[in-house]
Amino acid sequence: GDNRAASKNSSDLIAYKNVNDVPPPRDCMIQIDQKNEAILLPIYGSLVPFHVATVRTVSSQQDTNRTCYIRIIFNVPGTAFNPHDANSLKFQGSIYLKEVSFRSKDPRHISEVVQGIKTLRRQVVARESERAERAT
Amino acid sequence: MSDGHLFNNISLGGRGGTNPGQLRVHPGGILWKKQGGGKAVEVDKSDIVGVTWMKVPRTNQLGVRVKDGLYYKFTGFRDQDVTNLTNFFQHSCGINPEEKQLSVSGRNWGEVDLNGNMLTFLVGSKQAFEASLADVSQTQMQGKNDVILEFHVDDTTGANEKDSLMEISFHIPNSNTQFVGDENRP
Repeated sequence: GDNRAASKNSSDLIAYKNVNDVPPPRDCMIQIDQKNEAILLPIYGSLVPFHVATVRTVSSQQDTNRTCYIRIIFNVPGTAFNPHDANSLKFQGSIYLKEVSFRSKDPRHISEVVQGIKTLRRQVVARESERAERAT
Repeated sequence: MSDGHLFNNISLGGRGGTNPGQLRVHPGGILWKKQGGGKAVEVDKSDIVGVTWMKVPRTNQLGVRVKDGLYYKFTGFRDQDVTNLTNFFQHSCGINPEEKQLSVSGRNWGEVDLNGNMLTFLVGSKQAFEASLADVSQTQMQGKNDVILEFHVDDTTGANEKDSLMEISFHIPNSNTQFVGDENRP
């Protein structure tokens, strides 16, 4: 029973319950919502929220023109040490968003975003694994 | 509403972000003009094939699908505008607006729906995001289960977004039966 509770926790993490809880878009740029543990990605003029627990890795790159590229890889089933493995059974048949990449002209913003996502993700993963451990 | 209605602060959303403007809805159709001039969108009533409403953070979004496959998204309507415009579309155009719901749960698993040239990612039957396949420059399979969509890099549209989408990839597990044996989709 305890095992089930632990897996339930990580798969039931939800960024927002209500549409109006999502912060209104300021600029069409990647944002981090610390309080709701969400990252907001600008896709076709909307800010699309993803819970930070769905993120596997985030990285950035810069080319010679000072153009930055940020790549966010999400958890999908079938990868090693995947905290979402419980989901792949629970949500069998689902299609997963695996990866998104964006281009930006603002290197400072991108490095802040990368650091922000990494820090927030670390906090949430630590908290969740502690919770899972306590449950066993 | 016989003379039409004017809505200020209506943004047109798309690939390059959003642009503020003004929307006029009149018996002949709809007309959106970008603030300060420039781009305009004019849709004749007879070209509208479908209309959708969706509640988005703090406001409402109107989706207008037209005959040639284009799909316009206007954001910035108050709740009372939704009621008025719904009446207008029903009575003047004979179109019943559909209601869509936005997913804000933050999950990355759901379904992919292809309709015309729009790709919709749905989480729990609610829409998480939409992308136009017309902007996809290349699709690639990676391994047996991943599909990569590369988007055009467009510097000319007066985009006001700071971070531009370049690539999206989907992981389609073997357990998914929707796209089995169809290598041309999505």
